[in-house]
Amino acid sequence: MNGSQIHVRKEKQQRKQTVTFALLGGGIIAAILLITTIWASNRARIGTSQAVSRVSEFYLEELAGRRAQVVSEELKNHVAYIKNALDILEPDDLESQESLRQFLGKVKKLYGVDKFAFVDENGIVYTQHSTTSGLSRYGFLSEELTTPVIHTQNLYGAKKQVILAIPVEDVFFQGVRIKICFIQINISEMLSSLTLQTNDNETYCNLYYRNGESLTNDSFGYLTAGKNLLSELEKAEMKEGSSHKKLSDDFANGNPGQISFKYQESEEELCYIPVEGTNWMLTILIRNNVISDQIGSISSRMMKRSIIQIVITVLVMLVVFSLLIHQSRKNAKFLLEQEKADGNRIRAAYKQIERERTAMNNIHAAMGSGLWSMEFNTRAEILSCTWSDVFRKMVGYNSEEDFPNRMESWSDLLHKEDKEQVLKEYWDTVYDYTNEKTYDVEYRLLTKHAGWRWFHAAGRLSRREDGSPITFVGLFLDIDDERKMEKQLQRQKIDLQDALAAAQHANKAKTTFLNNMSHDIRTPMNAIIGFTSLAATHIDNTEQVRDYLSKITTSSNHLLSLINDVLDMSRIESGKVKIEEKEASLPEIMHDLKTIVQADITSRQLEFYIDTVDVVNEHVLCDKLRLNQVLLNLLSNAMKFTKPGGMVSVRILQKESAPEGCASYDFQVKDTGIGMSKEFLEHVFEPFEREKTSTISGIQGTGLGMAITKNIVDMMGGTIHVVSEEGKGSTFTVSLQFRICADPVRQDEIPELKGLRALVADDDFNTCSSVTKMLSTIGMRPDWTTSGKEAVLRAKLAKEQNDSYAAYIIDWLMPDMNGIEVVRRIRGMIGEEIPIIILTAYDWSDIEEEARTAGVTAFCSKPIFLSELREILELPYTAQSVENIILKETMSFEGKKILLVEDNELNQEIAVEILQEEGFIMDVADDGVVAVEKIKTSDPGCYDLILMDIQMPILNGYEATKQIRALNRPGLSDIPIIAMTANAFDEDKKMAFAAGMNGHIAKPIDIPKLMELLTNVLK
Amino acid sequence: MHKKRLICKKNKVSLIVLAVIFCTCGFCLAGCEGKPADRMPSASEENPIVSERHEDIHKNATSVVNFDRELDDYRPLKKQYNFYFTYKLVHPWWDAVALGIEDAAKEYEERGIIIDYEYLAPKEASAQKQIHQLSEASLRGFDVIGVDVADVAILSPVINELMKNGQKIMTFSSSDASKEDGCNRIAYVGNTHNYEDGVELTEALCEKLGFRGTIAVLVGIQEAPCHEDRALGVKDVIAKYPDMEIVEIAYDGDSVDNAFHLTRGFLERHKDLDGIVCCNMSNPVGAARAVMEAGRENEIVIVGMDHDQEALRYLKDGIIYALGVQDCYSIGYDTIQVAVKIADGLLPGEAYPEKTEEITTIIYQDSATAVLQTLYGEID
Repeated sequence: MNGSQIHVRKEKQQRKQTVTFALLGGGIIAAILLITTIWASNRARIGTSQAVSRVSEFYLEELAGRRAQVVSEELKNHVAYIKNALDILEPDDLESQESLRQFLGKVKKLYGVDKFAFVDENGIVYTQHSTTSGLSRYGFLSEELTTPVIHTQNLYGAKKQVILAIPVEDVFFQGVRIKICFIQINISEMLSSLTLQTNDNETYCNLYYRNGESLTNDSFGYLTAGKNLLSELEKAEMKEGSSHKKLSDDFANGNPGQISFKYQESEEELCYIPVEGTNWMLTILIRNNVISDQIGSISSRMMKRSIIQIVITVLVMLVVFSLLIHQSRKNAKFLLEQEKADGNRIRAAYKQIERERTAMNNIHAAMGSGLWSMEFNTRAEILSCTWSDVFRKMVGYNSEEDFPNRMESWSDLLHKEDKEQVLKEYWDTVYDYTNEKTYDVEYRLLTKHAGWRWFHAAGRLSRREDGSPITFVGLFLDIDDERKMEKQLQRQKIDLQDALAAAQHANKAKTTFLNNMSHDIRTPMNAIIGFTSLAATHIDNTEQVRDYLSKITTSSNHLLSLINDVLDMSRIESGKVKIEEKEASLPEIMHDLKTIVQADITSRQLEFYIDTVDVVNEHVLCDKLRLNQVLLNLLSNAMKFTKPGGMVSVRILQKESAPEGCASYDFQVKDTGIGMSKEFLEHVFEPFEREKTSTISGIQGTGLGMAITKNIVDMMGGTIHVVSEEGKGSTFTVSLQFRICADPVRQDEIPELKGLRALVADDDFNTCSSVTKMLSTIGMRPDWTTSGKEAVLRAKLAKEQNDSYAAYIIDWLMPDMNGIEVVRRIRGMIGEEIPIIILTAYDWSDIEEEARTAGVTAFCSKPIFLSELREILELPYTAQSVENIILKETMSFEGKKILLVEDNELNQEIAVEILQEEGFIMDVADDGVVAVEKIKTSDPGCYDLILMDIQMPILNGYEATKQIRALNRPGLSDIPIIAMTANAFDEDKKMAFAAGMNGHIAKPIDIPKLMELLTNVLK
Repeated sequence: MHKKRLICKKNKVSLIVLAVIFCTCGFCLAGCEGKPADRMPSASEENPIVSERHEDIHKNATSVVNFDRELDDYRPLKKQYNFYFTYKLVHPWWDAVALGIEDAAKEYEERGIIIDYEYLAPKEASAQKQIHQLSEASLRGFDVIGVDVADVAILSPVINELMKNGQKIMTFSSSDASKEDGCNRIAYVGNTHNYEDGVELTEALCEKLGFRGTIAVLVGIQEAPCHEDRALGVKDVIAKYPDMEIVEIAYDGDSVDNAFHLTRGFLERHKDLDGIVCCNMSNPVGAARAVMEAGRENEIVIVGMDHDQEALRYLKDGIIYALGVQDCYSIGYDTIQVAVKIADGLLPGEAYPEKTEEITTIIYQDSATAVLQTLYGEID
């Protein structure tokens, strides 16, 4: 062992000794600190506990005293309230029961009590809303009071109440003396403001009688609600200085006190104090463990924290010491390694730069593109910029003098539209310290000789370790020719796509239109075919056939209008269709509508409701055909998309918001059908749109109906709105405003019916409501019911009460009892004279006979309008006047001769049959040429009129008319000519008049219209 | 040697360090006395059986009388109503009905509808006084008049006459006068099974007596339908059993004192009496008092009606064997609901039945405590 080795060993021994002494010293210091901390904490805990216990006793006593005072004050205040109330009692308040109740209510509200009452000498209790016999309920009423009393009452239902009663003098109500005035207060509510009870249920407050009975139904510590305190505490283990006797004596004598005891394993402190002016004791109970636990908890926490603090301090000192030594050694080693790493990195960076430069030169050589490079400092500021000669030449410059090595040389030449974006890309790339971004842009640059040209530039950066840029190297390519070529190709491609799309759309629209057009035609067609078939079946029943034919006519007319609409779709879109305002009757429109759909409703087994709300203007100026079309479109859709057993309803509602001279209506069509998706709802009014579900369900349609409807509603200046939910149904609401063309329906009362009762029975609440309103308007006293059975009962009761109904309006189909049966039973009770009207949305012809036998006076079709109801009810009183109405004069066509110019044989036959039926003599020409010839060769007066078709094979109607008008023979050239043609548009009418015709009637022939026109022309 | 010394030193240092750590841990443990005692459990936590028993009691008791009532969905047509109710006589039984009426009126008031009412009775049952009250009330324009019929035969024609004049009249609480009785009143709310109540109580008594013995019957008011129906039920049941016999029937006029004296008489006249059936609220109280006075509570089985607090205490003590408790609260509550609908012109049907039936529950000693607590907040 040499000297240096011995020196090293000594050094090690000395180091170990130092460490040992340090550890020992640290340990001793820590132990002393710990012992003193524990001793100090224990002393503090004992002292604090004693002090807190003493303070809490004072506190409890003080608290109980204050609470008792509050209760006492509260009771005194209430007695004062009663006295105040009696002071403000005026003789007026005692004039009637109403005035007394008002007074009692006012006082009750003023003092916020449960009850404020007067009691008279008979024991009758008067309150704000009641007058009751109180002798058995309020025990104190049997006593004669001379002073105020506080009475507690345990009512049925375990409602404990405090009653404060005072005697009253010299107050009389309706001749009887008011003896007592009292208020009633809920004890629990009174105590709720006093209670100390916390969430942990460790402090309690309650009221007891002197005998220990509880005034409340609240629990008191471990004492169950309602238990007697004195009897229960006999089971408690009393602490030193406390006894049950003391408690009982204090309670009996009304003395305050405080006892400690153990009850159900819990140490408790009870403080009690009498409540002044009562025989009550207010008690406060607190559990001792609340205080001791709190103090113990605080001391323990303090001690624990001190010990942890000491241990942590010692440990931290040792750790910090060791760390410091270790760190100083580590730092020296780290610096050395870092220096080596920096040297390697710098060398690697130089190599990288060299490699990139070489690579770029190679690219530059291979592509003939311009190279550029820039150098940056650590703050990413440009140090130098180098444009290669090739780059300069590409932009038309030959030397560095013309195009210096500066950023601006290039950036100033950038097109203004590209400049911002290109520079942003450039700097974004520079500042992207992650080095993920690549600079790759295309832009226009102003060249010296060739103007603006497109260039493509791309580049990447080499960076320092912190990500800051070192060198930005990039390429620059002229792509102007490529861009121009690309642009041209793009344009050609777009042109081709547009052309293809237009062709496809046109083709699709055409196909869709032709394939689906039958949708709207089928609905009325179905009615025509159905009723025709029914007419054939009942051919011997003239009445029924007439009814069917009338319905066929209605449907046919609609079919015609529908065809017009389909053909007019393009005209609608181009704005050629006009809305023709004519006088129209809303009842007629609604009844026609119902007639058209009736067959469908029945065949689809749907429930159908139709009603009116507040309609006072029944005659308006509107395009009846268009309105009908709108409603029928909506209704046929509703029927189509509603399964059998579902419900479809139509409602017309007149709104109050219309300007003067106009009326606003909502037409609401509702169904319980399949509904629509939210997505489809956005397109429901677009042409040829159909919900997918409807396609899947196999329901036919063109998808044109809603588009036509929307267009027509728009043209009528209205709005259409739809609410729908899949699986639940849809509601379409059309809001329209029409000008009024007649006075509102008479709103005055019918004198003969004024004040009489009427009964409406309909399972549809809306109909009940609507008809009831109408009946009120005409002065009747209506009742309504949705039950047939109840209607019979009400009729019976009314008769028994000698206040029978003067009219009955009964729905035919009600779920609990059929309308006919209802009528039969009512008729059995009331005799034959009172009118009973059956109201129905369905065709009643099949049951009419049975109904009449049962006693039905009349039928009325839904929806019923006020004018119709009025007419029916007035009928018995206006029969005389009806008979006096002078029959309208009708014109005779006997002997009048018509020349019918028509090329189609079938049409000839129809027209000849119709007109001969009316008394005309008919002559026929099958072309314009023949007609002109016949007129030329006839004598004036031979023909009274010409009915002229327009489209004919040789000479059309316009030309034939012109030639007749051009004849130089008075009596022939001015013969009335009426166009009778399938060319039914407005422009066709104008052309007919321009050709010299006197009138125009469209095919198929509407006979009443034709007769009206002939009458006018021949008059 | 040197190595050994080194090892010894090392051991000493280790021991000292260990001792210091040990002491530190010891002090730590001494200082950390553990968590302060957790909150003392509440009565219900500590004694779950007690809590459960209270819940059961509460459930049973609430099925006897339902205080948790809510108004139905009917929306009255008017904002204010004015009713008149007349009942047989001033008596605590009708005070329970009055509470139901009061609470229903309060709930209507919370919905913005005011119910004004008069709820009056003579001090003693009298059909003539009731006629007088009805006649006066009919002149004061009440929306609906409610009658607890004191005497069906006397009051039915009066009710019919008033109805004919347009007055809306219903019957309520204890006694109805129905269409079968020739009365045209609109509806009835109350006990519709008085006969069955009498039957059920008597069956309980017979079973207790082993279907053998003599009994006396106490009834309330003569001609009061509810009392008479129960008495009829009693007679029919006793007639079924050949070994059972009714020795006497007496009417107390709804007075506890009368019931007491009448029972005294029974006890004197019938030394072998085995049971007493009580058909009204005052009967069982008077009967129990007399039986206790005679010291014969272990010999005589008493069954009776209604919820008198004193009677319930006798039931709890085993003096009374069974009591039929009617849900008077619901009677009052439903009376107001039906009266509102009648005032609105609705007839019995979907909106309300012609007879709104309220329950009667026969309770025995085991339920007495719970019912006392629910009805009167009373606990041992």
